[in-house]
Amino acid sequence: MHLRKYAAIAKASLEVIFVYRASFALNMVGTVFYVVAMFYLWQTIFLGSPGALGGFTWPEMKAYLLVAFLLNSLMTWFDEWVMGRDVREGRVAVDLARPIDYQTKRFAEAVGPIPFELFSALLVGSVVVFVFGGIALPTDPAHLALFIVSVALATLLKFAIIYCVSMTAFWTTGMTGIVVGRVAIQNLFSGALIPLVFFPDWLRAIAAVLPFQGLVSTPALTYLGKMDGPTTALMLGIQAVWAFGLLLFGRLLWRGAVKAVTINGG
Amino acid sequence: MAARLRPARRLVYLYFRCLGQQMKAILAYEADFVVLLFSAAIVQLAGFAFIWTIFQRIPDINGWTFWQVVMMYALIFITEGVGSLFFEGTWWLSWLVYSGEFDQVLVRPVSPIVQVLAGRVGFNGLGNIVTGGVLMAIALTNVPIAWTPGRVLMLVVLILSAAMIRVALNLGTAAIAFWIRAPWSMVPMFVHQLGEFAKYPITIYSTAVQAVIVVAIPFAFVSFFPTAFIFGVDAWSLPGLLTPLVAVYCLFMAVTVFNIGLRRYESTGH
Repeated sequence: MHLRKYAAIAKASLEVIFVYRASFALNMVGTVFYVVAMFYLWQTIFLGSPGALGGFTWPEMKAYLLVAFLLNSLMTWFDEWVMGRDVREGRVAVDLARPIDYQTKRFAEAVGPIPFELFSALLVGSVVVFVFGGIALPTDPAHLALFIVSVALATLLKFAIIYCVSMTAFWTTGMTGIVVGRVAIQNLFSGALIPLVFFPDWLRAIAAVLPFQGLVSTPALTYLGKMDGPTTALMLGIQAVWAFGLLLFGRLLWRGAVKAVTINGG
Repeated sequence: MAARLRPARRLVYLYFRCLGQQMKAILAYEADFVVLLFSAAIVQLAGFAFIWTIFQRIPDINGWTFWQVVMMYALIFITEGVGSLFFEGTWWLSWLVYSGEFDQVLVRPVSPIVQVLAGRVGFNGLGNIVTGGVLMAIALTNVPIAWTPGRVLMLVVLILSAAMIRVALNLGTAAIAFWIRAPWSMVPMFVHQLGEFAKYPITIYSTAVQAVIVVAIPFAFVSFFPTAFIFGVDAWSLPGLLTPLVAVYCLFMAVTVFNIGLRRYESTGH
């Protein structure tokens, strides 16, 4: 329908990254240090303990960490801060006057930079692979196909989560704190720091009822073929339900928030 | 002697006056303040949960126990907290120099370094200090350490030195703004991010990485060596004693770089 409008927004959003390439590069450097530290840490752990840990071999763990890194690198540019700025500076009013859907616009902005983010993450990833040696590849092409589906769902889910959390911008201007807090919780419960099977039962139970596992754990385990057919189907289903559920919830929140803004504006 | 002391006391007084004004500005936004405090705490709890989970599976990492790693982790966060709560201003130096607002700093009869350091307050630092402090207290009480007055004193000295190293690194790298004119500089953040390596025992890294965080950017003296000293890990505790010296050296270098840079400063419009 109005796809061209949103494609133009996505393109503009990608171009913004090229303008702020220094900041973007810096973001990357930060994650590189983090990934390298994690690789050394896990290498030490695996070399120090015989055989598999939590059902993972070292090559599998390397693959897991790398996939987690790739997924974490997507959609890092457009976080809650952007919406916070728009609300604080009143730009939201302009958006309301435009003949576009606000959530779709945000989505276009968030998706636009992904090709560049993916490219940079792959570049960093290949350096890490070069230093730490080979990683496990999916043995089954079906796993690879399902993995790509899962990554798409993970991206959608990440957007939905950020969009919902962004709504706090209507109540606080401290978006930096919000982003930092969300990322910390997300890293723990998505399995980005450590595969969820390593968790004790009670922590795993918490992770299972939260949406975050769909961001890293589900796609990464699909990549490794760690889940059997029915489990994979179930986990992808849960991912999809969370993604679309939160997208819808975000729309409701937005509607409520906009009303509040109208009232405050007189 | 009294006459010599007075300027120093005045500097401290002015520093806290500057900082106090910044605090008032931040406290005006109560929700932001609470959010920042909590987000810092959440980051640490997530990090703690990560380390804890690993140690549920394995007894030690390269011979380093759970509480030792927690101690390193806590030190990184406490020192980061001290940096943001009291010395956040270094992060704005680039902007001050780029925009020419640094002129204001120069016309005031107070040391530019004090003004830069006190220029901002990062309240997330308070969250970091409190949670980091709690983690450290738990780590230290869970391990039998023969506490003597000397060791207690050494703990205080080590924490202060560790914080000093980080502030010096921030200040020294921020001073690069005098050479590279840009609204925002990558270098301080780049160095800051290296702290990621200091959260874990340095024995897990390759020699090259170790060389960087021991010699080039001495982050190992912020977390690793002080921890080894306090826990009495003989093989590594001796360098821990050097921590205060490293701190003094870093601060000296940072102030020197800053002062050299200061002489290069020319306002905008030239």
